[in-house]
Amino acid sequence: MKRASMTVIAATIAALFAAPAPAQAQAQAQTKRPNIVIILGDDLGYADMGSFGSEIKTPNLDALANDGVRFTNFYTHATSSPTRSMLLTGVDTHRNGMGNMDEFTAPNQRGVPGYEGYLNDQVVTLPQLLKAAGYHTYMAGKWHLGKAPNLIPAARGFERDFTLLDGAGSYWDMTNFTAASPKSVFTEDGRYLKELPKDYYATKTYTDKLISFIDANHGDGKPFFAYVSHQAPHDPLHLPPEWRNRHVGEYDKGWDAVRQERLKRQIELGIMPAGTKLAERMWFLPDPIVLAPAARAIMGKKMELYAGMVENLDHHVGRLINHLKEIGEYENTIFLVFGDNGAEGTDLLKMIAGSPGSRDFLFAAINWSQTDPNAWGEPGSYPSYGPMWAQVSMTPFSQYKGWMAEGGVRNGLIVSGPLVKRQKGSINHGVMHVADIVPTMLEVAGTTYPESKDGKKLPPLIGKSWGPVLAGKADSPRTDTDYLAWEVFGNHAVRQGEWKIRWQYKPFGTESWELFNLANDPSERKNLAAERPDKVKAMVALWDQYARDNNVILPSRSMFETMEDTMPPRVPDDEGYPPLIYKKQFVPPADMTADPKP
Amino acid sequence: MKNDAMQKWRSAGLRLAAAAILAVGVFGAQQASAQVPGRFYWKTLSDASAVPLIVESISGNTNPFDPSHLVTPGGSFDATMALGGYAQTFTLMDRSAMAAVILPMGRLKGEARTISGTSIQQSSAGFGDPMLEFNINLIGPQAQKNIPDVIRYQPGFSLDLLADLAIPIGKYNSEQALNLGQNRWYGRIGAPMIVQIGPWVPGRRTTLEFLPAVWLFGENSDFVGQTLKTDPLFQIDAHLTRDFTEHLWGAIDSSWYSGGAATIDGNSGSSRNDLAFGLTLGYTINENLNLTVGYKSTVNDSAPGDMHMDNFMITLVSGWHPLIEGSRRLRSE
Repeated sequence: MKRASMTVIAATIAALFAAPAPAQAQAQAQTKRPNIVIILGDDLGYADMGSFGSEIKTPNLDALANDGVRFTNFYTHATSSPTRSMLLTGVDTHRNGMGNMDEFTAPNQRGVPGYEGYLNDQVVTLPQLLKAAGYHTYMAGKWHLGKAPNLIPAARGFERDFTLLDGAGSYWDMTNFTAASPKSVFTEDGRYLKELPKDYYATKTYTDKLISFIDANHGDGKPFFAYVSHQAPHDPLHLPPEWRNRHVGEYDKGWDAVRQERLKRQIELGIMPAGTKLAERMWFLPDPIVLAPAARAIMGKKMELYAGMVENLDHHVGRLINHLKEIGEYENTIFLVFGDNGAEGTDLLKMIAGSPGSRDFLFAAINWSQTDPNAWGEPGSYPSYGPMWAQVSMTPFSQYKGWMAEGGVRNGLIVSGPLVKRQKGSINHGVMHVADIVPTMLEVAGTTYPESKDGKKLPPLIGKSWGPVLAGKADSPRTDTDYLAWEVFGNHAVRQGEWKIRWQYKPFGTESWELFNLANDPSERKNLAAERPDKVKAMVALWDQYARDNNVILPSRSMFETMEDTMPPRVPDDEGYPPLIYKKQFVPPADMTADPKP
Repeated sequence: MKNDAMQKWRSAGLRLAAAAILAVGVFGAQQASAQVPGRFYWKTLSDASAVPLIVESISGNTNPFDPSHLVTPGGSFDATMALGGYAQTFTLMDRSAMAAVILPMGRLKGEARTISGTSIQQSSAGFGDPMLEFNINLIGPQAQKNIPDVIRYQPGFSLDLLADLAIPIGKYNSEQALNLGQNRWYGRIGAPMIVQIGPWVPGRRTTLEFLPAVWLFGENSDFVGQTLKTDPLFQIDAHLTRDFTEHLWGAIDSSWYSGGAATIDGNSGSSRNDLAFGLTLGYTINENLNLTVGYKSTVNDSAPGDMHMDNFMITLVSGWHPLIEGSRRLRSE
């Protein structure tokens, strides 16, 4: 990705925050600078909010969309911590320490700067810069960027925090996933918690804490930056009993039907262009219409729970919004809402505890074995909704979290608040990236990205400010020659303009470059690599440039390296094949029927 | 479609199918002592069938084949009973319903007292009065017409309407008081109730169950040459049941009977006021078979006219459903 020019940033700041006299301007800027609230859904899918075509009821998030602008071409990374690292630093993952996830650092990446598995000390964070610019900085929720005392939110710029340091865990208690690391680690205001508060439920408690942080300093005249990094709706699908049964039977119709309904709404809303086709159903998933009612019911219940999770998340977002309205801060608050990566299609519990007799299987037998559907949502249960519903969450895109298909890296973004000058409720199709948030918010705060830290030159920001786009002066922060690039677990991709190349492990990919035209084919149904070798070559050159600039070291080991051996062979998804399973009973013409002759 | 890809989906369905038949196996049966174990009125898949076999060893001063429990002061009876039956679930007006027929059989012997107070030994063996039972849910989950309904079944608060009718064709000897058949029509109207306490998760299910009912008796005009009439008898059974594991459960049982004063040739006896407590253990042997073992004994039985009875009971109930049986056959291929 091209480095954002500091000159352009400075010019944009000047344009946005120009004032007649320096002293007066400073005073006005101090009093008028907006608050910033980033609402991050963990594994929240592109199509999971009502304003992006979902049937899931998200009135509070939709209200933000109606008050602001939706972005349909917003990119994160393919997994959690890489996205979070770019969100908070604006720096490429291979420089900020998240060149690979901590859980999967490859042998050839160990000890290499940029691959620490946590947010390294070569970067400064958005909260550090905003704090220095006079903002209060609060965080509640999941961190996933390091656990050591020098890596926790309090050490990386947040003055108040209530944080789950792990990537996931129970929503009800401190239970984590493996025997080696059985307890989730939490901090509150920089201290490691021995136990959780009474009546702890992740989504509720994070919201309560954030509201209390805001209230504690409300009235001192300083704006705040609040990062509410919800655990929801990441599995396990834990949710309170009263939220579990709000959609009983509604998803028995199956994933294909729900995907079709969501796409129809997306087209009606203007999220996706008319004529958009759904991505192929993953080849290892059955057409739900051939499943028995019991299988559809049990699979449907997983989606019922997921929908409940999203609605519960929306409910607590609504609590935060209402509170800001009550204390008079809503109108002066910028909201950013998005998911951190594609929806989760992998069964994490099975991956961790799938081998009977293993250490982690025994751990799961004690801690995660409440498998009865009626126990789903409770402590001790580990429901996840599987690849079929992850594809629904990522309608209309292909694949899901962890992969470089659009279903892995593209998400819905809502921005609302005083920064937005576009028509309320409008939709924008500019190409946006999560790393754009740092330069954009630094502009909002009236500060700049420093060139160095402790005498060391800082890595460049890779994002571009959204200021002109939000002001209605541009439709995209990127030109047709700008490009985005990603790499994690060895899967990698480049997007430039309407073109995208991706390299993925088999069987999700071909272990060669695939080429797609996202303008015509957002669902990545047709690989054009053979037809357009010139385009492939040009874009591979961009990849090479990106890899050189950011010291990309493709991993010598990957979590996907043996996947092809463990999955059904990939076959084309030809609709209606085989006809056998769709043919219905032949009914002869009534006037040609007869009883047997004696 | 790939067979291996289908495996997980198929197993998901079968797993729940198994859950369904577990519910079918809950069927109990009408006892001659007019009491049933806890969980008798849990609902299951429509169009399921069950055959209960109940074996009881009973002792006391009343004929266990006679639900009016006419007390013989100073009497002492021992009975070995077996009850066989057949039950069928179905859907009626979108509600869960069940029809069953139960046939008591067994041996009964003991020391009875004649009207003159003389002690005599009596015995009987053979078949008792078959009983027809009909039960329909009025308040609670709708009928379980398919396996998804079974998956989603949670009783919450359930209220049923229960009707029993005994047909007086059992073995009867008008010259003795101790009989298997009762030589009169009788029946019961009741309202079984289930209150779900906590989550409905196998291994953790807890229920509080009640059966308030009234027994109504016809007239036996040939009761050792006399006429026996019995007032309506009120019954309340209560069970606190709790899973210990997914397959093992237990219950604390109690019953209270009131009324039901017998009149023999115009001489009225006293009304009943019997209180009994017991324990039950239940175990699901496999997808088709359920076993319960229980014991119950009266507690306010110190006076000569009080009913005293204790009862060991073993029930074995086999349930099946065509869908489940077919799935099993395919699975075992």
